[in-house]
Amino acid sequence: MAASLAVQISSQLVSSKSILPSQTWLATVLSTQKSNLPLQSLCQTALFRLLASEITTSVQPTPENTFPSAIHDIKTPSSRLKGPIVAQIVDVEDIGHSKLSQLDALESAERGEKTKGKEVIRVVPGEAEDDDPDNLGLTGAGGPHKLLLEDANGTRVYAFEYKPINGVGIGMNIGSKVVIRDAKVVRGVLMLEPGNTTLVGGKVEELHKNWREERKGRLKADIEALKEDDG
Amino acid sequence: MVKVLCVAEKSSVAKAVAGHLSGGRFQTRQTNNKYIRNYDFDYKFNQWNHCEVTMTAVQGHTEEIDFIDRYRKWSDCDPVDLFDAQITKNIDKSKQSIADNIQKEARHATILFIWTDCDREGEYIGTEVRAFARRGNPSIQVKRAQFSNIEKSHVIRAAHNPKDLDEKQAMAVSARMELDLRIGAALTRFQSLKLQGRNGLASDSLISYGSCQFPTLGFVVDRFMRVRNFVPEPFWSLKLMHTRDGTSTTFNWDRSRLFDRMTVILLFENCLSSPDALVRGVVRKPARKYKPLPLTTVELQKQGSRFLGMNSQRVMKAAEGLYTSGFISYPRTETDQYDQAVNLQGLIGKQTNDTGNWGWGAYATGLLDGAFEQPRRGRNNDKAHPPIHPVAYAASLALADADQRKVYEFIVRHFLACCSRDAIGETTTVNLDYGGEGFHASGLTVLERNYLDIYRWDRWESSQMLPRYQDGERFVPNEVNMTDGKTTAPGYLTEPELIALMDANGIGTDATMAEHIDKIQQREYVYNMPPPSGGGRGGGRGRGRGRGRGGRDAGGSGRSEGGGGKNVFVPSNLGVALVEAYDTIASDMSLSKPFLRKEMEVNMKRICNGELSKEDVVHQSLEQYRGVYAKVSQQLGNFREICAKYLEQE
Repeated sequence: MAASLAVQISSQLVSSKSILPSQTWLATVLSTQKSNLPLQSLCQTALFRLLASEITTSVQPTPENTFPSAIHDIKTPSSRLKGPIVAQIVDVEDIGHSKLSQLDALESAERGEKTKGKEVIRVVPGEAEDDDPDNLGLTGAGGPHKLLLEDANGTRVYAFEYKPINGVGIGMNIGSKVVIRDAKVVRGVLMLEPGNTTLVGGKVEELHKNWREERKGRLKADIEALKEDDG
Repeated sequence: MVKVLCVAEKSSVAKAVAGHLSGGRFQTRQTNNKYIRNYDFDYKFNQWNHCEVTMTAVQGHTEEIDFIDRYRKWSDCDPVDLFDAQITKNIDKSKQSIADNIQKEARHATILFIWTDCDREGEYIGTEVRAFARRGNPSIQVKRAQFSNIEKSHVIRAAHNPKDLDEKQAMAVSARMELDLRIGAALTRFQSLKLQGRNGLASDSLISYGSCQFPTLGFVVDRFMRVRNFVPEPFWSLKLMHTRDGTSTTFNWDRSRLFDRMTVILLFENCLSSPDALVRGVVRKPARKYKPLPLTTVELQKQGSRFLGMNSQRVMKAAEGLYTSGFISYPRTETDQYDQAVNLQGLIGKQTNDTGNWGWGAYATGLLDGAFEQPRRGRNNDKAHPPIHPVAYAASLALADADQRKVYEFIVRHFLACCSRDAIGETTTVNLDYGGEGFHASGLTVLERNYLDIYRWDRWESSQMLPRYQDGERFVPNEVNMTDGKTTAPGYLTEPELIALMDANGIGTDATMAEHIDKIQQREYVYNMPPPSGGGRGGGRGRGRGRGRGGRDAGGSGRSEGGGGKNVFVPSNLGVALVEAYDTIASDMSLSKPFLRKEMEVNMKRICNGELSKEDVVHQSLEQYRGVYAKVSQQLGNFREICAKYLEQE
């Protein structure tokens, strides 16, 4: 009974989201559920839990839904990944703005200059060169982004936001799951765009918390490293 | 005959008004004050008929507020007591004779006619004058003249249309004075007493605090720290070059620049696989460079420093002189829109016969012959004064000095520019797709210069013509390159930038900004100096080097900055120490941040509108500052430690 329920849920998730849950993981989830719940709500629960958990435990790796073993071969100028591949986002970086401007924006947000509507106006329109992208740090526009993705095998691959994807940004949840179909890979880096990437969502609480806590330190360390290069 | 006592805010205005009303025929009497004269003449006011008039003046504020004696000596009380200590009004010894003069002259007068400047400060000074007059004559009738320049017909109109003093504006000034006194004294004594004799500061050093001074200092320190902490970061970009019809055009990358080398290399390689570039669109758009808005005090100060190489104090001094001589309207105004009633054509007409060789006579005539266009309307109207404009023609020789000549020329040219048409042009932008990457180039053609002909400080020039490209055509680029660059440090704060920041953040008023900037220099919290060479780690000035300029934004309306070699503000160690100490200890309410002061300024306006009482505003602000005071005095050790960190670098 439990086995067939798990099969039904798996096939639902595959058909609606292209995500195949790990059977061991799914069994554990189902063991904590009341058995009289309708299939639909069990599916919902399973999806919700899956999106909130580590991909390496909750998703069943298959040759189709994971990165091929040769993906890191930088000698291959260009190839295509058919997928659908399931991955989680473990890191996101704004490469359209300098680290210093990002650190600045972060620190002024911490001081409450934004949250309380008390922003100090530092750049007066028309005074500075108002096309300086560094000033955007304060207004919140961002990107493009470089992402680090992880599949069910734990293989990590870099990806570049080739065209803006809704929901991808510095404020996104770490551990969010994405499904990628028919994407171009150039020397081991995925080129993502709305047409080949579906942001399914979710968040791995621990990853997210750590990422947020470490971001400022990482920005600072990166800037320090540049200082040494320079000096 | 009815006797009218007129009192102006300064003696130069008294003399000018007396001259206009009497047609130059007045008798001069000395007073006990060597700067003040009484001018006697007869005048027929529409409302009061034939009158005997005495015109005199004060010198700005006559009274000052201070704490009662027992709080005056620093050693006699804890500075925190000053938040509640009793306050009295005193007359400065040198000004007693001014008050006495008004009291004496009022004795035989029926009407007191107040001619102080028409702004908040002027209303308050008017209430002082009224108090002195009533000491001599309790039943004297009080009226007020409303005027915004000292040109003859304007003064005469004001004389025939007396108004009442605006008590609310006077209340707002009174609230501001009380707050400045209490907060300034409490924190000045606290800072000075706690830091004197430490870290190389003299045992009697005065470390003054002012609620506008500190946020002003805060802006300077904030920028200084940004320059000091700046680290250049590398970025990479792509460029596409194509030669057609003998013209080589550089197309800039739509992504402008990225801070990740790997990504740019991959995108570069990816697009190079394409055999040719596709023209995705050729867009022609009308472009326009807007003429300036009508001139406010803040703009005059900013442009003075940017275009005329004068600091805001010098600009205002020259403008005051021009106003007193009747050449320009009142130079303290927030208004950037002209009232329908203003006869702009008439004002332009005064500049057509340019006998003084300024070079704008023909231009002014052209405006009257059909080139005239209504000035743009800004968003501000202080309901007291029009934008700054010339009210009479002055030949260069008629002006007192080079500063006045420069400022007059600027005001006239600005005014004529306001009454002109915008400059008109056309931008052409060619967009390309090359292997999935977007590139663009654009060019500007200026079609009509219009106001640019008179406003020589704005630059807007045609760029090189783009060769013809057809939408949908394909071509093989001559070259596609990957380029690199580094971010460069921002410059130290310049005076126009500082004024703009103060204005945007509500620090000071148009009348006081220049004083605050001067104050923090006098206190040696900041120095005004030529830009230190290689200031930041990145060195040099200007930003975003290596990026395509003049691309998409060629049709923009940003005003270009003219001239280099301007001075910048750099904080002293003491200035940095104080700002860092307050920022660290009272981070959310720091005295170096504009929030507290901005709120105070907003409340002043609410007193003027009748929304708040003086008592409410004083109470509310005092409680906030008392909170900061408490925090800092509880963490005195920390406060001293942070200051020491910066001061020991001397």
